[in-house]
Amino acid sequence: MPRPGFVLEVDRSTPSIMFWRGENFSLEKLPAGRSRVIYPPEPLEALKDIDGAIRHALLNPHDQDPLPTQLFPGMKLTIAFDDVSLPLPKMRRPDTRQRVIEAVLDLVAAAGVDDVHLIAALGLHRRMHEYELRHALGDRIYDSFYPRGMLYQHDAEDPDNLAIIGTTDHGEVLEINKRAAESDLIIYVNINSVSMDGGWKSITTGLASYRCLSHHHNPETLENTRSLMGHRHQSALHTSVWRMGKVLKDNGPKIFQIETTLNTDMFPAPFDFLSKREWEWTARDRATFLATTKSLNRTPIKLARKIFHNMEGPHQMTSVQAGETDAVHKLTLEKVYEQQLVEVVGQTDILTMGIPYVCPYNPDGVMNPILVMCMGLGYLFNMYRNKPLVREGGVIIMTHPCYRDFNPVHHPSYIDFFDQVLADTTSPAEMSRKWEKQYAEDEWYKHLYRTGNAYHGVHPFYAWYWGAHGLQHAGKVIIVGGDPPTVRRLGFTPASTMDDAFEIASDVVGRNATITHLHAPALLVADVQ
Amino acid sequence: MPGAGASVGPLDLESDELLPLPTADWVRLRTRMAGICGSDLSLIDGTASAYFDPLVSYPFTPGHEVVADVEGTDRRVVLVPVLSCITRGINPVCPACATGQINLCERAAFGHLSPGLQSGFCSDTGGGWSHQMVAHPSQLIDVPVEFTDEAAVLIEPTACAAHAAARYTGNATVIIGAGTLGLLTLAAITATRDKVRSAPIVVTARYAEQKRLAKELGADVVCSTDEMPRYVRSSTNSLVFGDQLTCGTPHVIDCVGSSDSLQQALRVVAPGGEVQVVGMPSNVSLELTSLWHREVAIRGCYAYTHADFHTAIDVIRHHDLGRLVSATYPLKDYTDAIAHAAAAGRRGAVKVAFDLRAVELKGS
Amino acid sequence: MKRSAPTRLSSVGQLRRAAKVGDAASAAVQAVLRPAKALGFPYRKPSVPKGMVVPPNPDKLGANFDTGWARSTPAKAARAVITNGPMRAMVRVMASPEIVGLDRLADIQRADESPAVIFAPNHHSHVDTPLMHIAVPEPWRSNLVIAAAADYFFDKRVKGTFAALTLNAFPIDREVTSRKSSDELRHLIDDGWSLVIFPEGGRSPDGWGQDFKGGAAYLSNRTGAPVVPVFIDGTGSIFGKGMKRPKPGKTKVVFGAAMFPIEDESTRRFNARIEAAVTALGDEALTDYWTARQRTAAGTSPKLTGPEYNGWRRQWALTEHRKLGKAGQRRRQNRRWPNLG
Repeated sequence: MPRPGFVLEVDRSTPSIMFWRGENFSLEKLPAGRSRVIYPPEPLEALKDIDGAIRHALLNPHDQDPLPTQLFPGMKLTIAFDDVSLPLPKMRRPDTRQRVIEAVLDLVAAAGVDDVHLIAALGLHRRMHEYELRHALGDRIYDSFYPRGMLYQHDAEDPDNLAIIGTTDHGEVLEINKRAAESDLIIYVNINSVSMDGGWKSITTGLASYRCLSHHHNPETLENTRSLMGHRHQSALHTSVWRMGKVLKDNGPKIFQIETTLNTDMFPAPFDFLSKREWEWTARDRATFLATTKSLNRTPIKLARKIFHNMEGPHQMTSVQAGETDAVHKLTLEKVYEQQLVEVVGQTDILTMGIPYVCPYNPDGVMNPILVMCMGLGYLFNMYRNKPLVREGGVIIMTHPCYRDFNPVHHPSYIDFFDQVLADTTSPAEMSRKWEKQYAEDEWYKHLYRTGNAYHGVHPFYAWYWGAHGLQHAGKVIIVGGDPPTVRRLGFTPASTMDDAFEIASDVVGRNATITHLHAPALLVADVQ
Repeated sequence: MPGAGASVGPLDLESDELLPLPTADWVRLRTRMAGICGSDLSLIDGTASAYFDPLVSYPFTPGHEVVADVEGTDRRVVLVPVLSCITRGINPVCPACATGQINLCERAAFGHLSPGLQSGFCSDTGGGWSHQMVAHPSQLIDVPVEFTDEAAVLIEPTACAAHAAARYTGNATVIIGAGTLGLLTLAAITATRDKVRSAPIVVTARYAEQKRLAKELGADVVCSTDEMPRYVRSSTNSLVFGDQLTCGTPHVIDCVGSSDSLQQALRVVAPGGEVQVVGMPSNVSLELTSLWHREVAIRGCYAYTHADFHTAIDVIRHHDLGRLVSATYPLKDYTDAIAHAAAAGRRGAVKVAFDLRAVELKGS
Repeated sequence: MKRSAPTRLSSVGQLRRAAKVGDAASAAVQAVLRPAKALGFPYRKPSVPKGMVVPPNPDKLGANFDTGWARSTPAKAARAVITNGPMRAMVRVMASPEIVGLDRLADIQRADESPAVIFAPNHHSHVDTPLMHIAVPEPWRSNLVIAAAADYFFDKRVKGTFAALTLNAFPIDREVTSRKSSDELRHLIDDGWSLVIFPEGGRSPDGWGQDFKGGAAYLSNRTGAPVVPVFIDGTGSIFGKGMKRPKPGKTKVVFGAAMFPIEDESTRRFNARIEAAVTALGDEALTDYWTARQRTAAGTSPKLTGPEYNGWRRQWALTEHRKLGKAGQRRRQNRRWPNLG
């Protein structure tokens, strides 16, 4: 029976707490009497008969007719699916997308539909390598559809392949992939790792153009998104997305939305201790931890990254629902919160978090300094509902080595963003005004996005805007263990140890500040009262 | 180690012997300050090209960045070291000298003087690294009264920079290297040609002090050497094939003169553009296919004319460049002085000079 | 005397020398055997008195061959060594197998209590059996029993022992599954052993498939163990029925999803389901997954038994058919794209 998440009040007998630190870990002692650690709920049980559940969902959708009745010969069908930004770490084969799409294709074949296109809904993310598509879809689907040109990745910069569906009453233009827009039916296959995803966001971001995304991927919207993972009505991003969803529903093609949730069983043996509470580590776990950290200290960083990124998580499906987008998403969110929600009372002066080696924008790549900010202030800071865990003007402390290291194939525009834009300003509003257009329209970045495996030229801005709310909310941001000039370029304060960080923080929040530690890696959403 | 030639090479401190005046109109100079130049350093370390062998005469006293008093007068002057036709008693003068381009004088090894490109490379004239030398009247330019000696000793190198800056067109420009030459070239451009500036000037610098000075002297972008191609790429909206930018800047000024800097210059220059070589190169190895393919020019830039000296005085006044003299040494500490000059960038210095005034005060 | 290298074996003297050596050798052998010949019964087989007929003693051969010892721990250990060493190397050299579809087994593989499974492949060659030993993943590989034809593999003591030891073979009657065999197989499954049964009964005689018999379906119905259909492509060209020597080539093994018995479904119907599944896998192996799904849905999957021709046209169609699959690939040539026709 999985135990719920809970808040641990740190006292003198609390052991050191494990913090992620990029491609390694550290143990930090939090001051007794004024610190608390938020532990995520334990992973829920996976479904027993996954393929059966998928079939059931397809034949019994919510607020829509069963899928077989919506298929007819001669129709134009598009199956869109989430890219490999998630799940993190990657799932063991067969991936959820493979299971769902194979089940769907069985019904599609039975209905005699020939014109089927499979599109990776990656928005402005990078194109996936062949091995990543094979992992997500399985070799059978890849070998059947890719050579025929029926499996491909969305290209947001292809002017001939975009179509405008309509405009919202706020003047936001919904422009998406043309093939999808002109289909008789779009089947969307989603994996919902966090409550931010799914619903109308799937299609209005995954298949959208830069013009369409810039309506809500901007500093103003994101500063008013409180939070990304919380209630939709408190999130300006989701409000805008739902407005576009209405346009899609009224004027766009029919959509059969299939949403799935995963449990948080993220680490294979023998690393499953990473999700365990420290005082429950067995002798074997402790030995593994020591062996791992000590050998990682001696491992060259490239090899360490390879080891981590090759890890396959045993997380598995906990629910699958299909049909009308709103009805389906409501059920999905219930399941996500069931897995991730933790009740927390009150805010503290300081929020600490360990930043892992991966975020949704560097699967199988390097976590560059901008993504450290994005993961810390964008994702982890936003893992709350109602109120942030730290009070306004409080201090956020993160641990990460913050190497000035970039993957030039995946993140070419990030390198220039770090050198040029951050040297000039770290203010999201300022950089949006001064620099965003140049990066969004640069021919070379467009070329690399369309033909290589690079994130779009504007993407580093989006990664930075993701942390805009955190930047605005926090009084100071400190990175422990980070490379000092790099941390300063980000606009943050470097510290060598956690104690030094608390010392620096005392300038802002006083000497007896209260501390909350978000015990990543497992995902959690803090419901702060 | 750069600068080590001072202690192990043929450079030696000797007592001064009064030089004979080559002709009656020559004057004697009492040196006040003399700078150490990159060309002097490469000579001392033995890395200078053998090209210069016919253009120097041994033994000679180095030092061509000289501010001195004219003996018997109260004139304080800066030396124009070029030994052109007129100083060599050649009449009629060569075609270059006739148009005032003394830097291109064709008679540097001829006439009644021993061979010598400039004072400081000629056995007959002496050089700045001593208390006295001789000079032809045409080589003297008065130093403005308000100038310190430090400002004055920079006039000669700034004249080189002004000569290079004359080719600035206002288009996007990259200056490779922020040593003395690079910083002074930047200063000359921003002081005298700012009106035509229509595009950014990018300067590459290795050390923090150089970066700070480059920013102060008016560079739009200051970056390290390996970052520069990306800056140029994004500011010129260029694409890339291999290492080569498809577009690039029309004008690249190389103030270093090594194989690496010239090769990098070729990589970032626009098709049909020009790479101006201001830093003295010796034997370099270059891949020239991109030069041919993109119809690029490499053009040398040497020394100055008299007019450049007057421009230099304006530049120094505009930017208050006297502060670029980071350290001065008495002549007896010449090994330290040369070591400092050789490691100037790393040690946060720009120009290092010999101070020859103190001995006078003791009343010698 | 100088000896130069012989240029022709024509020297009579040399022949004489060879003959002498031969004589000496046979004399030595005779010398050893003669004492044995002098000994009689019981050292040697007894002669049969005139008029007497020795009754045959067939009890221990054929379907009654005892193979229990081959499933004991020491035999298992020995077989593990053989499978992972020489057998794997031999299969790799002979058959260069490509094994796909294992993700379909992921769910039952990772279950806390992986059930015993009945694998049901098509059958074209003796190579199929060691190939299955290599291709089947854990946890079933080390607990795998192959159902082998009693009249072929177990008619002689030595052959039966070898088959039992190396392949963990179990004798079954080809035509009629006798009650005894099927009871024994059921016990094996209940004990956790997984089975490989070739539903066609024997190897294909002409390169096309044969109708599936109901043994696998029957056992699955009785024990509840799921049937995993398997399609093996290419073994027929390597060492098909009637070939004198094996010819190395490439093979592909495609695993299908586990098929659980349905309540109240007759053996005949389940058998038809299994045959349809293997047919679909065959289509998938030779063309691609999507084509196979479409043809299965439309009912136009090419039958494993081949076209309804007779004689030379059947053989002709076989060569066309083989070009689609692994046998049509030259060695060391990997075709990345499926044959889109």
